[in-house]
Amino acid sequence: MKPIYSLFFILSLVCVGCNTDPSLQKYFVDNTENSNFLALDVSPSILNIEKNKLTADQQTALASFDKMNILAFKRTDKNDEQYQVENKKLNTILKDKKYQQLMKFSSGSSAASVSFIGDDEHINEFVFYANRKENGFAVVRVLGKDMNATNIMTLMQIVQKSNLDMEQLKPLQQLLK
Amino acid sequence: MKSIFFKNSKKLLLTILLVLIGTPFFAQSSFDKFEGQDDVTALIVNRKMFELMSKVKVDASDKQAQQYMNLIKKLDNLRVFTTTSIKATNELKSTADKYVKSTGLEELMRVNDSGKNIKILVKSGGSDSQIKELLMFIEGSGKTDQTVLMSLTGDFDLNEISILTDKMKIPGGDELKKASKNKK
Repeated sequence: MKPIYSLFFILSLVCVGCNTDPSLQKYFVDNTENSNFLALDVSPSILNIEKNKLTADQQTALASFDKMNILAFKRTDKNDEQYQVENKKLNTILKDKKYQQLMKFSSGSSAASVSFIGDDEHINEFVFYANRKENGFAVVRVLGKDMNATNIMTLMQIVQKSNLDMEQLKPLQQLLK
Repeated sequence: MKSIFFKNSKKLLLTILLVLIGTPFFAQSSFDKFEGQDDVTALIVNRKMFELMSKVKVDASDKQAQQYMNLIKKLDNLRVFTTTSIKATNELKSTADKYVKSTGLEELMRVNDSGKNIKILVKSGGSDSQIKELLMFIEGSGKTDQTVLMSLTGDFDLNEISILTDKMKIPGGDELKKASKNKK
């Protein structure tokens, strides 16, 4: 009897593991190698800032931010079909209740939205989504640990003051071409 | 016999409850259809956003920021739809009219300013200046003139709104300012 129980236990663990696995994460992993997509990881080093010059508040804010993953689909005349399919897929993923939507915007051929995962004081992930029929779409995941609104505001101030290391964002220029 | 009656009344109660819960959703979805339409620009800010923003720590000495934070706490949803197309304008107008009738919004003021028709409607809450919903409709006349429909829900004071319109640059802010002053 016992081995059966443990088997069930392991199975259930596996199932739980699958369920909690963020589907957006899977989407990122699945499509990183796809030639229609452009994947980019941005680390906090992009801020190019000397940590010892920051105030204590700014340091906690910076520490709550982990990294940023960007995945973009560049639409051309040839891959329009895939663009439709992938855009639909992505929208289905983002409709999950797990992603609490903060705001959205739509205008003619373009659309954008911001959502997050976690609760107010402990945000683990922000998801930015933007779509434009002529150019394609992009999803940005901002990952961190216990991010909150105050931290974000502080982080914004840091970004404004810092001299961004644009090298890390260079691949994105292709999108705008 | 008694138990049957009890069962029925329970069912009835459940139905009423369901209908009551359902109404706000129906009411909201009347505007949601404008989202994603080609000639309509839509901006929707959800309650979560206001909640999150209200958690930002602000300098206690900054009075204006404090006021702003106080107001944000009381807000639920903000929807803004703008369009320059005549067809969409008419649709927006008829939807807004229906919505006003079904939700019992009262007209706060109406302005006719250089071809622009501005209506501001509110649903009052507990006290006179306390508001549960604010709906503004600006009907643009020509191609360059935008038609704007704005709906703001929550539980706030009309006098506080001018702070928000100042900060967020919502179209029609000037008219709102006048409206809140009239009411004072």
